[in-house]
Amino acid sequence: MSTPSTPPSAHSSSDPSFPSGDRPTVTYIYRWDLDKTYLQTDFDSVRALLRTAIERAIDKRNVPGAATLLRELRQSTRPGETTRVCFVSGSPRQMRRVLTEKLRLDGIEFDEFILKPNLRNLLTGRFRALREQVGYKLPALLAGRAGVAHSAREICFGDDAESDAFIYSLYGDLLRGRVPRTLLEEILQRVGTYPDDAARTVALFESVYSRTQDDAAKASIAFAEDSPFRDEIVGRIFIHLDRRSPPRRFDRYGVRLVPIYNYFQAALVLHEDGRLAADAVVRVAVEMVDRHAYSLESLRNSLQDLLRRGRLSVETVRSLGAAIAEGQGEADLLPALGSLPGTRDLLRSLARSLRDLGPTAGAVPPRLSGRDAPPIDYLKALEEDLPRKRH
Amino acid sequence: MDAMGGDLGPEEVVKAAAALSIERRSGERPLHLLLVGDAPRLSALLYEIRHDAERIAIHHAKDAVAMDESPRVALDAKPDASIAVAARLCAEGRADALVSAGNTGASVLACQRYFRRLEGVRRCALAAVYPTEMRRGEKDDPFSLLLDVGATLDVTADDLCTFAVMGAGYASRVSKNARPKVALLSNGAEAGKGPKEVAEAYARLSQMSGINFIGNVEGVDIPRGSADVIVCSGFVGNVVLKMLEGVSETVVRLASYAYKEKLMWRAGLAMLSGGIGRLKELTDWKQYGGAPLLGFDRVMIKAHGRSQSHAIQNAVKVAAKTVATGMVQEIERALREIPRVDPPVSA
Repeated sequence: MSTPSTPPSAHSSSDPSFPSGDRPTVTYIYRWDLDKTYLQTDFDSVRALLRTAIERAIDKRNVPGAATLLRELRQSTRPGETTRVCFVSGSPRQMRRVLTEKLRLDGIEFDEFILKPNLRNLLTGRFRALREQVGYKLPALLAGRAGVAHSAREICFGDDAESDAFIYSLYGDLLRGRVPRTLLEEILQRVGTYPDDAARTVALFESVYSRTQDDAAKASIAFAEDSPFRDEIVGRIFIHLDRRSPPRRFDRYGVRLVPIYNYFQAALVLHEDGRLAADAVVRVAVEMVDRHAYSLESLRNSLQDLLRRGRLSVETVRSLGAAIAEGQGEADLLPALGSLPGTRDLLRSLARSLRDLGPTAGAVPPRLSGRDAPPIDYLKALEEDLPRKRH
Repeated sequence: MDAMGGDLGPEEVVKAAAALSIERRSGERPLHLLLVGDAPRLSALLYEIRHDAERIAIHHAKDAVAMDESPRVALDAKPDASIAVAARLCAEGRADALVSAGNTGASVLACQRYFRRLEGVRRCALAAVYPTEMRRGEKDDPFSLLLDVGATLDVTADDLCTFAVMGAGYASRVSKNARPKVALLSNGAEAGKGPKEVAEAYARLSQMSGINFIGNVEGVDIPRGSADVIVCSGFVGNVVLKMLEGVSETVVRLASYAYKEKLMWRAGLAMLSGGIGRLKELTDWKQYGGAPLLGFDRVMIKAHGRSQSHAIQNAVKVAAKTVATGMVQEIERALREIPRVDPPVSA
């Protein structure tokens, strides 16, 4: 694997993200859901559910690009940075062996792996907890947060099948102090969290929040003014549109949350955010082409979709295209390893089309900015976005 | 997809593209849709609905031809109208087929300007499928093909022969009817019946071995399905097509009237509702998927101006099938075998 080249706003001595002088150590935490986010899982019928339950690790299929993106994120660190990869999944604990084996086969190293105690919930008669996700994932995230440096920044990955957008956004806003304790209690009560779980969640929140603020504020000076990580502890939330939900559905969660159709899109946004280098983006695309038969059209359409939604700047696309198309020899960004014949040509074609994007005036909106966004109305989101959780 | 064409605006075209993008086509290549039109507006529409962005691209076109505009004047004044841009993109190979529910004249004219006419084709033909009593082909297809239905109003005998060959090529590939029965529409079955060009075409088609020419048919034979491909001038075909549509709509209106008029009739209609529904489905133009424009090196499917999402989806599926079955290549091959009389004309 080649050495990652420089992300657009990172690495170099003239890096605008970092003021000169001492850099505080920043840990990046990548939090992933498993089913429908990392793994292609079908829960839509009893038969599919049973098949998922008895499937061997080697037979489990990844969402295209997920494994490569995760490996690249793990490796994309700058001096003074560390990374953590954490999984919080609604899969039952009994699947730990097969799931961790699957991650081992994919070459994914992780620091945390949390599964849901479904058997215990069943045996203790806590049937609501079998389906309910907020009361399970939120305390799991907060507990995970308690064990890391308070200045750590997070990037979360989930999907549109359950409540990931709601949970990750709430988690991020809790850490930033935007959600008062009373509102958290009301949310937990409304989603039907059992009182002891709710009390534990609130206690975790208070403990984590009080310790986070000072260090987070200090760390924010390490980031460029326009960095999504400057003011946010949860800098990005990616929601994989497994069900192809309309992107509009997620507007309520603000620009921090990016609905994505595939991990090429996530890689592009992370490249623009300065978290991934151009060659890492290419490697995600290579996996999708080589292993999942993605076409040039699909990649190009994915990219255009981000431009149309104002999630990516035209300049980033053009510079990425130039970086790939013009790379030669040692500087070549197209990795030969793992590429099937034709992949290189396909990516070069993609690069050329990115570089020569043509006139976009009137066709592409300005990039979305998160500044001055209204606060998320969680109670409304609960009513409209999580209808099954109403009580 | 000319996203700005049609009476119902881009909303229905975008809905159709979105639905097609998430449709699973077992055993077939996934469809990629290229929407041509006002990009900000199309993007905003797409943003609201379920779709697969991996399979949809938008190409900006700043203008559009309205349904009531004069085709030639509009296309001359608006070279960047969505239909013109879509035809150019298709000609450049950015798309395999073009679908439009917009202004028919402008759609045909745009194709004439940007597509290559197949060798031996003087005038193009718009072909429409319609339901018949008899079925045909390996798929027991209940549809016949009528062409031309409006692209070329005045025709020569040569044009009618060309239409016959093109119609047969379409039926053999798309309807999987290996040897379709081809007929000329006239006012009598005898060889000399009809205007001069029809009589002359009759004589020449009778001599062509590569085509299963069964002679003339009359209007009454159209719904019966005596022929699989019926050939006529664009003027006659358009009148016939509109009449078939009118009859279908009148039958539905009469049934609706009967339903309100008497309790006994209402009961009778209720008992027949399954059959009536099936009949309505069969005679519903929304099911047919639009009319292919034949005679060019590219596929163009003209959907009805009033098309809603479902009809446009069917038009796109017909377009995809037409491309996948190699219809253009089949027509090109068959055209090489026609003896020529008329001199070529410019578009």
